[in-house]
Amino acid sequence: MTATPLRPYSPPPPVKPRRRPLSTNASHYVLWALALLVIVGPIVPVVAASLWSTPLYESGGHFTRDNFDALFTDGGWWTAVGNSVLFAALNTAGSIVVGVACAVLLTRTDLPGRRTLTTLLLVPIALPGLVLIIGWAAMWTPAGFASSWLETHTFLSMPVDLYSIPGMAMVGMTVASPTVFLLCRGTLLSIDPALEDAARTLGAGPLRSLLSVSLPLMRPAITNAALLVFALSMEVLGLPLVLGFSSEISLISTYLYDHWTNDSQQGLVSAGAVFLLVAVSALLVLRNRLVGDTARFTTTTGKPAGVRVLRLGPVRWLMSGVLALFLAVFVVVPLAGVVLAAFTSILSPFISPWSVLTLDNFSAVFDNPLYTDSIVNSLLIAGVGGALTTLVIAVLSVVAHRSRFRFRGSLQQGMLWPRMMPALVTGMAFFWSFALLDRSGAIRASLWGIGIAFAVRSLALGYSAFYPALAGIGADLDHAARTSGASWWTAMRTVVLRLVAPAMGASFVLLFVAMLGDAEPAVFLVTDETPVLGLTMLQLAATSIGGSVAALGVIQMVITLVVLGAGRALLGVRPRA
Amino acid sequence: MPDLHLNGLTKKFGRHTALHELSLTVHDGEIFTLLGPSGCGKSTTLWSVAGLHRPDSGSIAFGDRVVFDHGRIDTEPEHRNCGVVFQSYAIWPHLSVAANVGYPLKLRRTPKAQRERRVREVLDLVELGDHAGAYPHQLSGGQQQRVALARALAHPPDMLLLDEPFSNLDAKLRDRSRQWLKNLQSQVGVTTVFVTHDQDEALSVSDRVAVMNRGRVHQVGTPDEIYDRPADLFVADFVGTANILTATITEADGSHALIRVDGLGRPLRVPHTGTHLGGARVCIRPENIDIHRPGAAGSTPPDALTVTVENRAYLGDHYRYTVRVGATPVTVTTTRPVADGELTISLPPEDIRVFPQETPMDVPEDAPSHEENPHASVH
Repeated sequence: MTATPLRPYSPPPPVKPRRRPLSTNASHYVLWALALLVIVGPIVPVVAASLWSTPLYESGGHFTRDNFDALFTDGGWWTAVGNSVLFAALNTAGSIVVGVACAVLLTRTDLPGRRTLTTLLLVPIALPGLVLIIGWAAMWTPAGFASSWLETHTFLSMPVDLYSIPGMAMVGMTVASPTVFLLCRGTLLSIDPALEDAARTLGAGPLRSLLSVSLPLMRPAITNAALLVFALSMEVLGLPLVLGFSSEISLISTYLYDHWTNDSQQGLVSAGAVFLLVAVSALLVLRNRLVGDTARFTTTTGKPAGVRVLRLGPVRWLMSGVLALFLAVFVVVPLAGVVLAAFTSILSPFISPWSVLTLDNFSAVFDNPLYTDSIVNSLLIAGVGGALTTLVIAVLSVVAHRSRFRFRGSLQQGMLWPRMMPALVTGMAFFWSFALLDRSGAIRASLWGIGIAFAVRSLALGYSAFYPALAGIGADLDHAARTSGASWWTAMRTVVLRLVAPAMGASFVLLFVAMLGDAEPAVFLVTDETPVLGLTMLQLAATSIGGSVAALGVIQMVITLVVLGAGRALLGVRPRA
Repeated sequence: MPDLHLNGLTKKFGRHTALHELSLTVHDGEIFTLLGPSGCGKSTTLWSVAGLHRPDSGSIAFGDRVVFDHGRIDTEPEHRNCGVVFQSYAIWPHLSVAANVGYPLKLRRTPKAQRERRVREVLDLVELGDHAGAYPHQLSGGQQQRVALARALAHPPDMLLLDEPFSNLDAKLRDRSRQWLKNLQSQVGVTTVFVTHDQDEALSVSDRVAVMNRGRVHQVGTPDEIYDRPADLFVADFVGTANILTATITEADGSHALIRVDGLGRPLRVPHTGTHLGGARVCIRPENIDIHRPGAAGSTPPDALTVTVENRAYLGDHYRYTVRVGATPVTVTTTRPVADGELTISLPPEDIRVFPQETPMDVPEDAPSHEENPHASVH
């Protein structure tokens, strides 16, 4: 050892702990209280409004059960509930069959063209839901382009009427199947191949070991996916609004929407919203219960191992063909329909689309201030709102997971809570909160009102994209900063948040896409000054599928794909269920 | 540099008590090792000193400065001025080596020129002067470990805390690092607390060692005291290898005792300070057992015993034989092999340690044993 001794070094005078106006612990309490106020607080006025005789913003009124009585004695309500349950059941059953089959075929077999088929299957969850519905409506309705073309030119025809509950469920499957696929694929990939190898060594064939070992291990994932899809089906608004309108098929969501916009029975609608909230929450609590006992199915060993590929033989070409046909009908044709409708003056099987090509729809969009305002507003909400929400998620996550804050557990739950709330209920919750707390209407008149509602709704999505990266950073790294002399906030700022910056980027991309297309929470919040893209398209599509709405759809699709593509190239963003 | 005083430190995780009223004093400038099996509370003790764990009661003082007192005082980790080397090293991957080491100085607002000089000085000390601009992923495990040490020494700290710093290194490098650390520590002279479960490491590095088990300190002493004069059976058994035999104390005068070991014919007169008579356990190290070879110089003592070799192993630098004294298997080691299947052995009385029966080998614990986890209460 020839190193110089360290004694001569005179340390700088010790830094006195600065008196900050807010101690770390106090700042945690403030953040916690604000977060719960914004995330969970707004639910209170909805419940209050459902139990009050007059709208909350008017003076007077008294406690009453009349709203619930009126709701439960209305035959129309029970029809809507029945329709919703039927729709949800059909949608769930169909998506589970398709999703699980795709998960097995596309991850575990030698199906030709697996990669392309997987990408096609996942396109619908990357795109705004409404774009696809517009495409379906343009192509596969009885008078739609593709249905008519098939009937005129071939002996085939579209067997299902889209203006019916089974028809709507079929459209719903386009989005729900890839959700099931993603949830099941994750489980399938995490199953240790040694488990199937063990079955093989005991005499089971490859197919048999797949069916008798891996499929049962997927049971929790399938249950999870089924309950999730069912719960989400109970609250969809766009689909029944566009397809159920002409046949007067009413679901819970359209019932609430109708009674709010057309006869402003706000108490009744609040009661319905409470009912919906209770039903959906109960389903998701049930899901947690059922999936909770996962130890029996936990198989991951943490040892990376290759996936065993099942050889299907010549059948694989047939299977691949069937899947390709399905995806063509469910994804490619509707998307082509949106593009065709946007670039033609009239879309009819009897006129060649090439003879009516036009850009008029786009100039109509850009000449109409409602549309341009909608686009600008949505870009503002998605860009600025998405960035702010990402920051909020990052700060709340480090408090929830990296501090010794007493109530950090409730913060973790709080960030997932919005996932339990139907979008319509979120919108109504903020409507009542602003009505009560902001009498001047300043927040609602600005974009902040809708922005906050969209942000709360997307919180769980951003958090679930962000959290794994945070969990992957060893606690020793911030402990080392603390013992080196950093305060808690300094340690977070200089070490933890620096290391999770890429995950924050990924979280931002997902939030941007979600907030760009979101519509449902805006139903109750929108004003003439604050139109947003999703809702404007929804309102337009509910009355007619014209060229303008298709053009808006194309614009939305292009923005989404560009942002997602950039996110994927730069940050490895992947679509999430 | 201050002393470190721990007084009556207690910590519970649910029903499991990790620390039972632990009291220790670490002297100025010494390397003090906490040695024990996993779950013994050694890491909990270290994290309590660092301020990353909060004990339930007790007090911790650095010299006159009380940093923890029954929860009335609980100085935040950033104000304790410790240097900590983590088992995982915890080098920040987004910062260069120099930035990692400069971080504590930056927080203390050391002027830039002085900071750079000090970073260079500390990096030279750990022989990493050429790697100041490198990033952690470009360094080997041993180099990363030295960056962690440099960072811990930079500010400079009042107390250096090391949590199993060598456990991720291979055996050769581990051995060299111990020597190196000992030299470096004596140059810097910082009061050091070292946590390890490796007895070789504890014996070779430390000025003093505290042997811990289930949240209690069994013995505090210099390495040779711990090895040669273990305070109880746990220490004897945990540090090194010990043959433990059953015996009866028939006479005891406070300096010596007459003991009858099961399987040995004659009673032995051994050094023993107790006066209690009756059942006892005795312990002798394998290398202390005398082997008498036929034809060799020196007389075979009258109490020598000829036993059958039941198991033999060649371990490179020595041979190990398993024999039986009475019903108890006994391990004997020697540097010279024994040709035939029998050994003549005797137990030299001065190397025998006697533990009267009522000395509990271990304090029974009602709670199930709990895997020690330094992050259990810190998030």
